[in-house]
Amino acid sequence: MSDETPKPYQPKIDRRTALIWVGVVGAATAVGAGVVVYGHKTGGKAEAQGYGTDPKLVEPEKAPWPRIMSEAQLQTAAILADFILPASGTAPAASALGIPDFVDEWVSAPYPDQLKDRPVILEGLDRLTPSIQPPEGRQAALEALAKSDDEKTRAFFKRFRALTIGAYYTTEAGFKDIGYIGNVARTSDPGPSAAVKAALEVQLVKLGL
Amino acid sequence: MAEPYDVIVVGSGAGGGMSAYHLTRSGLKVLMLEAGRDYDPTTETPMFNIPAQAPLRGTSTPDKPFGFYDATVDGGWEVPNEPYTVAEGSEPFIWWRPRMLGGRTNHWGRISLRFGPLDFKPRSRDGLGYDWPITYDDLAPWYDRTEKLVGVTGASPPMGLTNTPDSPPGCLLEAPPPRAFELFYARAFKAMDIPVIPMHGAVVTQAMKDRNTCVFATACGRGCALGANFQSTTVLIPPAKATGNLTIQANALVYQVDLDKAGKAKGVTYVDRVTGEHHSVTAKAVVLAAGSGETARILLNSKSSAFPDGLCNTHGMVGRYLMDSVGLNVTGQFPALEGLPPTNDDGMSVEHTYVPWWGYDRHKELGFPRGYHIEIGGGRQMPSVGMARLLDEDDLSVGDDLRANLRNRFGSVISFNGRGEMIPNDDCYCELDPKVKDKWGIPALRFHWKWGESETRQAAHMTQTFLEVIDRLGGKALGQVETDGRKAISKGGEMIHEVGTARMGASENDSVVNQYGQSWAVPNLFITDGAVLVSSPDKNPTLSILALAWRSADHLAQLAKTGGLA
Ligand SMILES: Cc1cc2nc3c(=O)[nH]c(=O)nc-3n(C[C@H](O)[C@H](O)[C@H](O)COP(=O)(O)OP(=O)(O)OC[C@H]3O[C@@H](n4cnc5c(N)ncnc54)[C@H](O)[C@@H]3O)c2cc1C
Ligand code: SF4
Repeated sequence: MSDETPKPYQPKIDRRTALIWVGVVGAATAVGAGVVVYGHKTGGKAEAQGYGTDPKLVEPEKAPWPRIMSEAQLQTAAILADFILPASGTAPAASALGIPDFVDEWVSAPYPDQLKDRPVILEGLDRLTPSIQPPEGRQAALEALAKSDDEKTRAFFKRFRALTIGAYYTTEAGFKDIGYIGNVARTSDPGPSAAVKAALEVQLVKLGL
Repeated sequence: MAEPYDVIVVGSGAGGGMSAYHLTRSGLKVLMLEAGRDYDPTTETPMFNIPAQAPLRGTSTPDKPFGFYDATVDGGWEVPNEPYTVAEGSEPFIWWRPRMLGGRTNHWGRISLRFGPLDFKPRSRDGLGYDWPITYDDLAPWYDRTEKLVGVTGASPPMGLTNTPDSPPGCLLEAPPPRAFELFYARAFKAMDIPVIPMHGAVVTQAMKDRNTCVFATACGRGCALGANFQSTTVLIPPAKATGNLTIQANALVYQVDLDKAGKAKGVTYVDRVTGEHHSVTAKAVVLAAGSGETARILLNSKSSAFPDGLCNTHGMVGRYLMDSVGLNVTGQFPALEGLPPTNDDGMSVEHTYVPWWGYDRHKELGFPRGYHIEIGGGRQMPSVGMARLLDEDDLSVGDDLRANLRNRFGSVISFNGRGEMIPNDDCYCELDPKVKDKWGIPALRFHWKWGESETRQAAHMTQTFLEVIDRLGGKALGQVETDGRKAISKGGEMIHEVGTARMGASENDSVVNQYGQSWAVPNLFITDGAVLVSSPDKNPTLSILALAWRSADHLAQLAKTGGLA
C-alpha cells in the first residue's frame, strides 16, 4: 500500500470507547464494553423507538435505535467531516472524534428534527460519493460543495457542516479547541480576570460607553 | 394505609413541598400524594456530564423537550396518557408538567423575586386587575423566612427602588460577581438610566447552615446533586421526612376530593398511574398543591349534589383568572465581545444580575399599564450541538478559518428575555373538556386564552428596548425580529408561570379561598400552590408561592392545634 492511500474510516461505534476517547470516562470503566454492530435499514419497518421520557441521565445508555447509514455513506461522511474540520495543531480531525458515527446516530433517530435531516444528509452523501472516490478529484469536489448551483447540494453541505460543528465542539477536544474552560468544581467564583476586564474596557470606550 | 393522617397534601412541588415541610415540623402526620415517580437528585443528577455522553449530543427531542439532561421526568409540554385541550377559537396555550417528586422545582429557573407593595393592590393603583386580600407587609415576614430557608442571592445595601423590595439584612446571600457580558450590557442600560442589580437566585453561594455551597459549575436545570440550589426534593422533603411525620405515596394521581355528610373534606381519591388501581385515603384536612391547572381540575372533577359544577365552584370562580407572564426574547451578537481572553463563565447557573422594571412612573406616556423585568443570558457557556448558529448565515468556512471564526464568536452572543405582568381577563380560564378524558377516564382540562392589549403593547416595548440596547452595544440582532407585539408575544402558558384558577379574596362571591388558602366552601380544604394568586406581576411566582404556602400551612397548623379542624 502506498502512503497516499488514506486509511478507511473505522467506526467508533461503541459509546464507551468513544467516551474514553474524548476523555470523559476513565479507561477502567471500559471493562466489559461490548461491540455494537451496525444494523442496516430494513425496508417497510415502523420507525424505531426513541429513548423514552425517563432515560437514565447519569450514565446514559446507547441510543436504542438501529443505525441506518451504509458503509459507503460512513466513508463519505468521514471524508467530508475531515474536510470541514481536519486535524490542526493538537486539535484532532473530526473523524478521529467519531463524528461520522454521530451523523449516523442522528439521521437514524426516530424524532421529527432528525427525520427531517435524514433525506437531506443521506441523499447528499450518496450524490457526493462518486465524485470523491478518485483521490485526485476529491479536494476539488469538496470545495465545490459550498459554491454549488444546486440548491439541494448547498443545503446538504450546510446541514452536514452544522452537525459536524455541533458534534465536534460538544466533546472535551472541542471544548479545548474553542476555549471552554468550565465544568470544573470551584470553591468560589472570582469573576472575570483583570485581563478580561481590561480588554472589555477598551471595547466599551470604543463604543462610547 | 394503617396510619391515621392529619393532613393529605396533594403534590410535592413548591406549594406541596412547603406545606408538608411546615405541617410535619408542626407535629402533624402528613400523607403526601404525588402523581409522578419518586425522584432523588442526589443520585440521579448528571452533574458534570458533557453532551458527547448523551444520545444526539443532548439535543432536545419530543421525549426530552428541554434537552436530554434536563431533570424533567415523564413530561414536558405533553404528559403521556394525560391530555389537555385548547378551545376552538382560543389563542394558543401550552402547559408544562413533569411527573416526578418535587415537580417543577427540580428544573425551574430559580429566579426568586419578591412581589412588591403595588403588586398586591393593582386595582387600587389604577383600576385594572384585582386587589389581594393581603398587603406586602402581611407577606413580608414569610418572604424573610422563605429566603432564609431556600437560600437566595441578591444581598446588597438597600436600593429603595420602586416596587422592588429590599430584603432585610440576613435574608439574602451574595450573588457572584458579574461576568464579562454582564459588565458589558450594564453599561448600555446605565446610559439609558435603567438600573442593573444583583440577581435574586435560589442558589447557595456562601456558607449556609445545613446546606452545601454551589461549586460554580454544572447546569442547575439538570438538578443539583449537592442540594445547593432550591429543589423541593433537597430542601423541603428531606427535613419533613426527618420528623418521622411524612409518608410519601408516589404515582398517585388524585382526581377527587371526598366529602363527608357534614360537607367537610374527609380525604381524596386517586388512581395509581402504574397499576391503574383506585384508592381512597382519609385525613382531617386536605391541602391541594398539584399546580394551578391540575388543582382546578381536581376541584372541577369533585362533583356532588352540593357542588354539581365542581367543588368550591358555586360562584363559578374555579378555573377563572388564569394568568401567565408575558414573555419575549431578542438575541444579539456583539463584535465587541469577540476574541476576549478565555475565562470561566459557568457562574451560579442563574444570571448574576438582572434589570428590574424601571418605568413605574411613566406608564401613561408608555401606553401600557404594567411593566417587565429583563433576564439576560450569555457568556462562554458549555458548547451545545447548535454551535453552528454562532456563525453568520453566509459563513461557510472550513478548516482553520472555521476554527478561528468559532473561537472568536464563542461567548459573543447575549439573549434578552422580557418577563412582564399580565392583567387577568375574562377570556383566560380553564374548564373540563366535555369529551376528552385521560387514560383512566377522568375528564381533561380545556384551556381558553387571549392576551389583552396591555400585554401585547408591553411586548412591543420589550422588543424596542432590546433593539436599542443591542444597538448601543454595537451588536446586531440575530434572526428575524418581530416588532408587532401581538405576533412577538409568547404563547399562553409558555413562560410556565400559570397561576390563578382558585384565587384568594375577601369574600366567597369573587374568590375560592381566603387569605390563608382556606376554601370558603369547605373549611378543612386548603390550596397552597400558584392557583391562589390574584395577580401575576412581572416577578416570577415561585418565591411568592412558597411564602404563601408557608403562611397557609401555619394557619392550618394553628387550627389543628386549637381544635379548629374538628
Ligand atoms: C423550565 C422552568 C423554568 C422556571 N423558572 C422559574 C423561575 O426562574 N422562577 C420562578 O419563580 N418560577 C419558575 N418556574 C415556575 C415554577 O417551576 C413553578 O411556579 C412552581 O414549581 C409551581 O409550584 P407548584 O407547587 O404550583 O407546582 P409544581 O412545582 O409543578 O408541583 C406540582 C406537583 O403536583 C404533582 N401533581 C400534578 N397533578 C397531580 C395530581 N392530580 N395528583 C397528585 N399530584 C399531582 C405534579 O406531578 C408536581 O410534582 C419555572 C418552571 C420551569 C418548568
Ligand atoms: S450551579 Fe451550583 S447550585 Fe447549580 S447545579 Fe451546579 S453546583 Fe448546584
